[in-house]
Amino acid sequence: MRTLIVDDTRLARAELRTLLTDHPQIEIVAEAEDVAGAIEAIDRLQPALLLLDIQLPGGTGFDVLAGVEHLPQVIFTTAYDQYAVEAFQRNALDYLLKPIEPERLRQALARASERLNSERSAPAVPAGGLLGAQDTVFLRDGERCWFVALRDISHMVVDGNYVRVHFGSEKALLNRSLSALEARLEPNLFFRANRNALVNLRAITQIDPWVNDGYRLRLRDGQTLEVSRRQARELRERLSL
Amino acid sequence: MSDRRPRSLRWLWQCLLWGGYAALSAAMMVAFAGHHSGGYFIAVMLGLGLWASSEALRKLALQHDWLARPLAGLLWRMALAIALLAALVQVLVIVPLVVGLTLGWLQLTGSDFSPWALLAYWFNTMMPMWLWAAAWISLQAIRRSRQSELLRLRAEAERSQLEFAALRARLNPHFVFNALNNLRALINEDTERARQMVTQLSNTLRHALGHSTAEMVTLAEELAVVQDYLAIEAVHFEQRLRVEEQIEAEALTALLPPMSLQLLVENAIKHGIALQPQGGTLQIQGGLIDGRLWLAVRNPGRLDRSGNGHGVGLAYLSSRLQALGELAAFSLDAQDGHVLARIEIPPCAP
Repeated sequence: MRTLIVDDTRLARAELRTLLTDHPQIEIVAEAEDVAGAIEAIDRLQPALLLLDIQLPGGTGFDVLAGVEHLPQVIFTTAYDQYAVEAFQRNALDYLLKPIEPERLRQALARASERLNSERSAPAVPAGGLLGAQDTVFLRDGERCWFVALRDISHMVVDGNYVRVHFGSEKALLNRSLSALEARLEPNLFFRANRNALVNLRAITQIDPWVNDGYRLRLRDGQTLEVSRRQARELRERLSL
Repeated sequence: MSDRRPRSLRWLWQCLLWGGYAALSAAMMVAFAGHHSGGYFIAVMLGLGLWASSEALRKLALQHDWLARPLAGLLWRMALAIALLAALVQVLVIVPLVVGLTLGWLQLTGSDFSPWALLAYWFNTMMPMWLWAAAWISLQAIRRSRQSELLRLRAEAERSQLEFAALRARLNPHFVFNALNNLRALINEDTERARQMVTQLSNTLRHALGHSTAEMVTLAEELAVVQDYLAIEAVHFEQRLRVEEQIEAEALTALLPPMSLQLLVENAIKHGIALQPQGGTLQIQGGLIDGRLWLAVRNPGRLDRSGNGHGVGLAYLSSRLQALGELAAFSLDAQDGHVLARIEIPPCAP
C-alpha cells in the first residue's frame, strides 16, 4: 500500500517508519511536514494511504484533506487531538494516539486495506481520473467535516467563490469552482442544470415543464432546481439515452 | 433571598390557617356566650386582621432582611412589629364593634372595654402572631440553610473545576505525549540523549505538579525548569526552534509564582513557533525595574484571540498575578509579525 507520512516532527516520522517496518505491505512513498507540502505530495504521488498528523505548521490535517484532488484512505495520528477526529459525524475515521501502540497500528492498517479493497471491487472507476458514484470527497463546513460518497450528493450550487454541496439533510461548502468540479466528475453522474448548479441525475424524482421552455426538477431531498432552456434539450438527450 | 414557594400555595395555607383561627374563635365564643352577631363579627375581623398582619410581617421581614440579622436583632424587631400590628388589629376590631353595638346593628352580651380587658385582648391577639412568626422564621431558616448548602457545594464544584483546568494547563498533554513519542524514536537513535530527556521531562512534570497555589519560586528556579522544558521542545522542533535568553543577573533571586514564565514560553511555542513552517526565534528577556521583576517573551506569529487553547493557561496566569496586587501586570501585544508577552511582578515577602 503506497503510503504518505505527514508529520512536522522528524522524530515522529522516524518513529512511524520504525513501527511500519513490521508491515512489509506498506510502501512509504514520501514524507511531508506541513500543509502545503502534504497537498503537493498527495496530488503528485496519489498514495493509497495517508498517516496524517492533525497539528501542522500552516494549518491542520483537515486543511490537507480539504485541499487535495485525490483523497486517499486516512489514518490520523495525534498526541492529544482525538476529540477533533471524534467530532466527525457518521464517519468511521481512524486515529492513532502518539506514542502509537503497535497493535492499534496493525488494526488501523487492516481496516484501511479492507476499505481500499471494497472500493476496488466496486464498479470500475472511469479512466482519466474521473470520480464515480462510489468515490468519496472530503467536505467541511466550519467545525464539521464529512467524507461523502458522490452518489449521496443530490446537487451542488454556486455560493460566492465556493460551491455549496447538498447531501442527505446536510450541506457543506467546498473550496472549488463549479466548472473545476464538473470537469472531475463522471458525466453520467452529474448534469449541469444551469449556470449555477450541478445535479445528481439519480437524485431527480420529478421533472415538470417550466417557464422559458425550461424544466423544474424536484429532488429526493425535497429541493427544486430550474433547468435553463439551453440545458433542457441536453437533459432530454441525456435521459433518452 | 425571598421565599420561592408559589404564591398561590402560600395564599392557600394562610387562608386555611386564619380561616381556621376565625372559626375556632367563633366556636369558643358561641360555647361561652351563645350565638351573637357581635361574636361572629369579632371572629371574622380577627381572622382578617391577623391574616393581613402576618402578610405585613412577612413583607417587612423580607424587605429589610431581618432574617440575616443576629437573633436578638430579629427578635426585638419582630416583637415591636407584632405589638404594633396587634394593637392596630384590636383598634380595627373594637372601634367598628363599639359603633355597631351603639347603633344596635350588632349584639353582644358581657362586653367589657375596661383597660385591663383591652390589655388582655391585645395579648390574645399577639399570641397567634407570635406562634405564626415562630413557625415562619423556622421555615425560612431551614430553607436558607439548604440554599446556602447548595451554594457552597456549587462554589466548591466550580473551584475544583478551575483547579483541574489549571493543572491541565500546567501539564499540557500535547507536550507530554509528543515528548514521549519523540522519546520512543530517540531511544533507537541516540540513547544518551534519550536518557537525558527522561530526566528533563521528569523535572518539568514534577515542577508542574508540585506547587500549591500559595508558593513562590525564585527566577533562577523557574529558569531551570524553562530550560529543561526548552530542551525537550528542541528535540521536538529541532532546527525550527531557536532560543535567545537575556536575563539580568540581579533578577535571578526575584520571586514569582511558579509556572509564570513557563506558561508564557509554552504559549509562545504552541501559538507561535509551532505554526511557522520554518520555525523561528524565541526571545526570553528579564530584569528589574525599581525592584520589580519584569519578564518578556517574544515569538514570531500573530495574535489570535478567537482560537481556543489560549484561554486556560493565560487565565491561570492572570489570576495568579491578580492575587499579587495592583502592581502585578500582564500584557500580550502583536507588533510587526511578532507577539510579545510581558509580565511585571512586584517584590513580595517569601
